[in-house]
Amino acid sequence: MPEHNNSKQPLLTVTDLKQHFPIETGFIFKKQIGAVRAVDGISFSVYPGETLGIVGESGCGKSTTVRSIAQLYKPTSGSVWFNGLDLVNAPQDKLLIARKEMQMIFQDPYASLNPRMTVRQIISEPLTIYSNRNMLDPPMGKQEIEGEVEELMERVGLNRLFKNRYPHEFSGGQRQRIGIARALALNPKIILADEPVSALDVSIQSQILNLLSELQKERGLTYLFIAHDLAVIEYISTRVAVMYLGKIVELSASGELYHNPLHPYTKALLSAAPIPDPEIERKRKRIILSGDVPSPNKVHKGCYFYERCPNRMDHCATNIPPMKKISDNHEVACWLYQ
Amino acid sequence: MLNHKNGKTKQEKATNEFNQIVVGNSLSKDAWRRLRKNKMAVISVILVSIYILLAVTAPILPIYPYDEIVIDHQDLPPSLTKTAGELMRDKELAKMYAQAWRQGRLVVDEATNEMLEDWVSRSKVNKVWDYLLPEGNRQLESGTFTWNASEQRSIDSREKRIANEIQISIEKMWLKDEQGKLSDVKHLETDEIVALYAKLLGVQANLLVDQYTYEIEMQLLKKIKAESTGLTDDEYNMMLRDQLDSMSTKNYDALVKENIYEKIASTIKDMAMEQLGTEASQAETTYPLNEKVAVTEYLTASVKATKMHDRRYYLGTDSLGRDMLSRIIYGGQVSIAIGFIGTLTSVLIGVVLGSLAGYLGGKIDYFIMRVVDIMYGLPYMLLVIIAMAIFGRNILNLFFALAIISWLTISRMVRGQIMSLKNQEFVEAARSMGASTPRIIFKHLVPNSLSVIIVFSTLRIPSFIMTESFLSFLGLGVQAPYASWGSLVGESVGGMTLYPWRLFFPAIVMTVFLFAMNFLGDGLRDAFDPQSKNQL
Ligand SMILES: Nc1ncnc2c1ncn2[C@@H]1O[C@H](COP(=O)(O)OP(=O)(O)O)[C@@H](O)[C@H]1O
Ligand SMILES: [Mg+2]
Repeated sequence: MPEHNNSKQPLLTVTDLKQHFPIETGFIFKKQIGAVRAVDGISFSVYPGETLGIVGESGCGKSTTVRSIAQLYKPTSGSVWFNGLDLVNAPQDKLLIARKEMQMIFQDPYASLNPRMTVRQIISEPLTIYSNRNMLDPPMGKQEIEGEVEELMERVGLNRLFKNRYPHEFSGGQRQRIGIARALALNPKIILADEPVSALDVSIQSQILNLLSELQKERGLTYLFIAHDLAVIEYISTRVAVMYLGKIVELSASGELYHNPLHPYTKALLSAAPIPDPEIERKRKRIILSGDVPSPNKVHKGCYFYERCPNRMDHCATNIPPMKKISDNHEVACWLYQ
Repeated sequence: MLNHKNGKTKQEKATNEFNQIVVGNSLSKDAWRRLRKNKMAVISVILVSIYILLAVTAPILPIYPYDEIVIDHQDLPPSLTKTAGELMRDKELAKMYAQAWRQGRLVVDEATNEMLEDWVSRSKVNKVWDYLLPEGNRQLESGTFTWNASEQRSIDSREKRIANEIQISIEKMWLKDEQGKLSDVKHLETDEIVALYAKLLGVQANLLVDQYTYEIEMQLLKKIKAESTGLTDDEYNMMLRDQLDSMSTKNYDALVKENIYEKIASTIKDMAMEQLGTEASQAETTYPLNEKVAVTEYLTASVKATKMHDRRYYLGTDSLGRDMLSRIIYGGQVSIAIGFIGTLTSVLIGVVLGSLAGYLGGKIDYFIMRVVDIMYGLPYMLLVIIAMAIFGRNILNLFFALAIISWLTISRMVRGQIMSLKNQEFVEAARSMGASTPRIIFKHLVPNSLSVIIVFSTLRIPSFIMTESFLSFLGLGVQAPYASWGSLVGESVGGMTLYPWRLFFPAIVMTVFLFAMNFLGDGLRDAFDPQSKNQL
């Protein structure tokens, strides 16, 4: 699979994306005293038909990355090219066209559905919005939207007879299916999924993951898939990016990353993940990281991982490591490999 | 079409046992179900509905007009059994006995005398009346007391009035032509109706023109003066000329017709009164009367006549002889309307501004919230009073003055709600699929704050009614002849000791309504609050 990465045009390219949230003080005259550097200069590409997974601890900026790409926040700097359009500087009408091709699935199946709307209204909302704007191709009438909603419900495994029910009458897994149906409604090219299974029971997780991969095959979807669970990421991803404190520290093909992790942080992360075989699990050596995750407010002069790195060198304290290509499908940002 | 077909085939293999579309339970349906379990709230809903029903149907209810002044019926106490005539007789007799007692003609024993004096000194005159009425009647019967000649005369004349006085209203009039066919006078042409009136008076039709022209002009002038104050007579006359010139012939004819019609009706009324008056004294007719009477050989009218003093005032009358029951119902109309319309406007303003501030944030939020802060700082009552003084005291201005300052709280509340909701994922979801700002605010954010808004509005209505009552009590609210609960209470405070019912009934009616609204608001709050689910 990695071979055709190079031959194909990327669908989504993110270059040096930064998202800083200002920290303000003062009651009337606001003064900026710093910034939460939630995303601090990341670059990657997503190719048609693949799944790029992003892993990292909680708070490392995964959700912010996705929201910046979807232009829910205006990025502080950097560019997001999607489908040949620079989303950051795109005018409103162009952005609307792009949004049709780029849909999101959210983490919290309870908070992501409007409790005052029926399932039918929720799933048909994207269609209604674009239909009201005359941007549906081909145009759809009320009847057709209704039919489409029923079809989508059946496709994601919901009984269409429940279309007049409200979200609070469904279980977490079913709600996430509603969210997926909503994301599919406009027939997008890419789906940005922000931890779509982490709020669900393990047994339900696999059902939802299976559904997502089936849909990918059926519709040729591209996923940007976020998780903090390595097993989930390994199952679904073609390539994986590892994030730490708003930076990507390692980016590689999925299998390669698990067999041959390079960055000390990736190694620590992998060593912390439970392995189902008790034999191996017992023998395994764990890398325990010292210290807490530093505050994302800090401006770094050297490697972002310096404080907690078991292999740190003096050089790392003052120089930020660039992304380096180690092999065809493996990049890492660490001075050990430069 | 294709989709439709697919739907059909799928319906056949649908899996739930009844193969029917399941209707969901919306959160508001849940809340409604919970509200129905709350007894106080249900009673309140019923009470409020009754009030509203009465207020809305007031014009078709069988009650006396709220603004009809009957001088003879001033200050009658409430009674379920006695007619106005009987109450009037009792009241006058009691007063006359009291006068006779003062003059020493009605003699009571020493102890009673002292008691009566004591009441007088503590200005409890009604107690004196209540005591002397049966006492006087008893003495009159046993012959120890007699009326003097002039008193007897006034008693006799009053008895005659009570027995004979009738009230007439003309419902409709018909003109009879040679063939005996009836045609409604209201549908006659203007010149025909003028001719009819001339014939009735026995004068030439053209003699009437000067009179009605003058009257119509005076009428218009009065209207102009009421609309714009503080101009000179010349300016008023100019405005009048202007209006007359710009008026179409059709509109002018309508005015003429109206004027003449009223005159014919009042002439017919006088004529019918004369006829019935003689009949009534011979006690030939039965009242109430409602029939067609041929008043002249060419005019027939449907006449409604009732014995004036057969009226019944279940809640008494006020100082001008107006029916309290009717005034309370019409007063409720005004009070409830102010409560609802005021709340509606303030909620509309508050929700729009609050949600804009909450959702957009930044400079807009800052600006709106500073305006709110500043307006909060201003003395609210003073503002209303000043506004009423400047713009004139009518109901519309009262609505307006109340609405523009009462959106503050609701806008803050809605802003807070919206701010806590706008970072929820379902709002981000809506934004990510390109929903416009109005759509997000009115389809996603406002419906989710609706419970708070509804509860707040329900609790807001009584406070509006209180404010209106307070202003009316001060004399700044609705103006006579209109009534509101507040103005009824305000008017009656003066005669509180002598005529307590005039204070009591409007006060109790208003209190019950306010209680009901408050219980309903509390009930709604419990119903919408998910935590209360476990309590029920
Ligand atoms: N709107 C915001 N304003 C300020 N800080 C934010 C905002 N959103 C996220 N952050 C901060 O950015 C950092 C990254 O958050 P997030 O992207 O949600 O992490 P993740 O999804 O990886 O758990 C966190 O420190 C968080 O507190
Ligand atoms: Mg997150």
